[in-house]
Amino acid sequence: MSGYLEGVLVLLAINVVLAYAAFLPIVAGQLNLGVAGFMATGAYVSAYLTNAHGWLPVPAALAATVLTAALGLVVAFPILRTRGIYLALATFAFGQVVVAIILNLNVVGGASGYPVRAYIGFPVIAVAAVLVFVAIYCLFHTRFGISVTAVSDDELVADQMGLSVRWLQTAAFTIGSAVAGLAGALHAHHFSYIEAQYFNVLLSIYIVLYVLLGGTQTIYGPLLGAAVFTLLPEVLRGSAQWRYVIFAGLILALMTWRPQGVVTRSLLRRLFEWRRPPAEAAT
Amino acid sequence: MAAPAGGGGDVSAARPILALEAVSKRFGGLSVIQELSFEVLPGERVALIGPNGAGKTTAFNLITGVYPVDAGRILLDGEDITRLPARKRIRAGLARTFQNIRLLQHLTVLENVMVAQYARHPSLAGMLQPVNLLRGNRWQREARAALGEAGLAQYAEEATGSLPYGIQKRIELVRALLARPRILLLDEPAAGLNPAETEALAAQLAAISGSGVTLLVVEHDMHFIGAFCRRVVVLNFGCKIAECDCDAVGDDPRVRAAYLGADTELAAAHA
Amino acid sequence: MLAQQLVNGLMLGSVYALVAVAFTFTMGVLKFLNFSIPGIFMVAGMVTWAMLKGGISLLLAVPAALALGAVLSYAVERLTYPQMRGGDHFIPLVSSMAFLILFENLVLVAWGSDQQRLALPFQSVSARVGDIVIGVPQLIGLVIAVGVVWLLDLVLKRTRVGRGLRSIAEDAETATILGVSVGRVVPVVFLIGGVFTALAGVLFALNYQQASPFMGEEVALKGISAMVLGGMGNIWGAILGGLVIGVVETAAIHWFGARTVDIWVYGLLLAILFVRPTGLLTSSLGSGRA
Repeated sequence: MSGYLEGVLVLLAINVVLAYAAFLPIVAGQLNLGVAGFMATGAYVSAYLTNAHGWLPVPAALAATVLTAALGLVVAFPILRTRGIYLALATFAFGQVVVAIILNLNVVGGASGYPVRAYIGFPVIAVAAVLVFVAIYCLFHTRFGISVTAVSDDELVADQMGLSVRWLQTAAFTIGSAVAGLAGALHAHHFSYIEAQYFNVLLSIYIVLYVLLGGTQTIYGPLLGAAVFTLLPEVLRGSAQWRYVIFAGLILALMTWRPQGVVTRSLLRRLFEWRRPPAEAAT
Repeated sequence: MAAPAGGGGDVSAARPILALEAVSKRFGGLSVIQELSFEVLPGERVALIGPNGAGKTTAFNLITGVYPVDAGRILLDGEDITRLPARKRIRAGLARTFQNIRLLQHLTVLENVMVAQYARHPSLAGMLQPVNLLRGNRWQREARAALGEAGLAQYAEEATGSLPYGIQKRIELVRALLARPRILLLDEPAAGLNPAETEALAAQLAAISGSGVTLLVVEHDMHFIGAFCRRVVVLNFGCKIAECDCDAVGDDPRVRAAYLGADTELAAAHA
Repeated sequence: MLAQQLVNGLMLGSVYALVAVAFTFTMGVLKFLNFSIPGIFMVAGMVTWAMLKGGISLLLAVPAALALGAVLSYAVERLTYPQMRGGDHFIPLVSSMAFLILFENLVLVAWGSDQQRLALPFQSVSARVGDIVIGVPQLIGLVIAVGVVWLLDLVLKRTRVGRGLRSIAEDAETATILGVSVGRVVPVVFLIGGVFTALAGVLFALNYQQASPFMGEEVALKGISAMVLGGMGNIWGAILGGLVIGVVETAAIHWFGARTVDIWVYGLLLAILFVRPTGLLTSSLGSGRA
């Protein structure tokens, strides 16, 4: 495989992981504008474990994922007392604070960035992306998937129907942050250099936007969103900035005409119609 | 949790399945429920009636835990559930439907009714059951069967938003039933239904009652109540003003005053 | 020393205050967080730089930048407000984020990513009060900021448009029923917000003699912290919040270093959201709740 193609696929894989990190909270009704902060946490923890303590990159990435999950769990308690726009703002503030704290940690390079010695190659990253997809796919198709959607739709009804609203919201948030942490670790070990300023709110915005572009009604939407976002610059051989201008234009068009995203349940049904058995006879 | 066996209308003399003891509730300075006490015996079919604003839906909301009571107790089969969080009440066998339909917009009809299945197995394992992974799994089969029994099987994969009002109401009822409740609270189940739908509803409720589920129904349709309920509890201004057999309720002077009094006010307002 | 820091903080705070007013005004009336505001802030600052560099007089450049702010804001309105009426509440927020990306990247395409230095056509003048040095342009900026908000307050209280805005803030449906021409009044919110933000961008560029395509993210975004601190929907709260954030930032730079600023400013935002999300003052524009 050519180095160029591999580079694109690595980006795609990491963007897919990030997409699912944002997807689960969105399904639970949470707009996480601090995704990049969790990504940064995973990146720096994993990098530090390999640089300063000689860990191997894959165990370090897993440990970083667990630690990011722990951070997400701790932060979830105060943050999930807020709702709607307040929640989005709280995640935004959290993301900014995390990055600012890292900026001041000279042990991991501070403002000059942090070179990462241990390397993770494309095969591992691809496997990770596939595993994340499979895991989230399975999770989404358990009662958990229906339940978090119910909570995001109508908290009162979910509560009345016996669901533990707070627990579900916390779980969605924590899992989302863990997956973001994993993406960060993979990023750190592949690009061999991380700097805090990269994990800013605009990165969180891009991630959330391409997930919404793909569509959050089905498990496949985030895949499409990540693919579009990753492949747009390859399709348009212009400068990097034009890709984002076009991306922004796509989002605006989408919000005007198809805010539910590209991949919706009805679209999926129509695509797979031929595969379904004939509908049950009405009683 | 299996539904208790027993024929329809078989009222046992055992302890009440639902009891309110001097329940009171204020919103701000307004007292909406005042020392409300009544009981429902297992297997009964009781109607809760009263003019608009009497507090019927509020009473329901207190029973199901939407709001906490300010005073008094609520007992479910002898167990004090006054402080029990709402989500645990349906798990204990107390299910309800809503006056304004509250189906979940982003789930299909099938998924909507399946939500209530969790109440029977509220645990981490219950949450991780693969209910949507492969078609034909047992939770889907159970839910489809329930929809089929209600004549709604063809709507299983539909989005709820565009369905007719009467269909949505019936879906809500199926959802509540899938929690296998011991007592079912129905908030104006016949409102907005045409005569044919109302008859079908009455038949359905009769069947539900026949399987042993206790019914507490808020309704305005006196004809529907009369054909269906044994006993009536009458509310006005948050207080119980009467409690009697259905046949006698129309003659009760207090009840007449409550309804006709309200009508007179209305008439005067429009004069 | 302390007093000087305080003064510097207040001067910086006046910029945050204007941005915060734009945020809080949109939030109070329309219940939506307009993420395009930092983008408009940045465009106004960059355009001011570009015009000055191109030899255009300051007297023309400033109004032109303000007008551009209004135009851009109107474009945002066209593509966000109609969607607010029907669909999910997050749609306008998402569209406004897309506008931020759009503005930032268009500017990057036009002028690259470097921070630019403004060539001021006048000598920077300072006044001395005791030991304290006050930059006159900055003082003017502060006065303008407060004055403009005072004017807005008058408009809200004394004019028909203002009453219309306040009734929409209270309850949009009732406002329509009561005859408020929502379609004509809402663009006013965006126009005012756009002008305020552009003014903030111009003032920042002129006072600190710098503009960059990232100044929206780096500077204006802190206006959100100011808005929440002051109470969403309260324009005087936004002024208060802005001044406080300005002082906090200046103090943080002085005592802990420039790299810690975001910890303080956004940490404060986080703390407020946890402890007292309604902010210091309650909304003067209806409920202010999202």
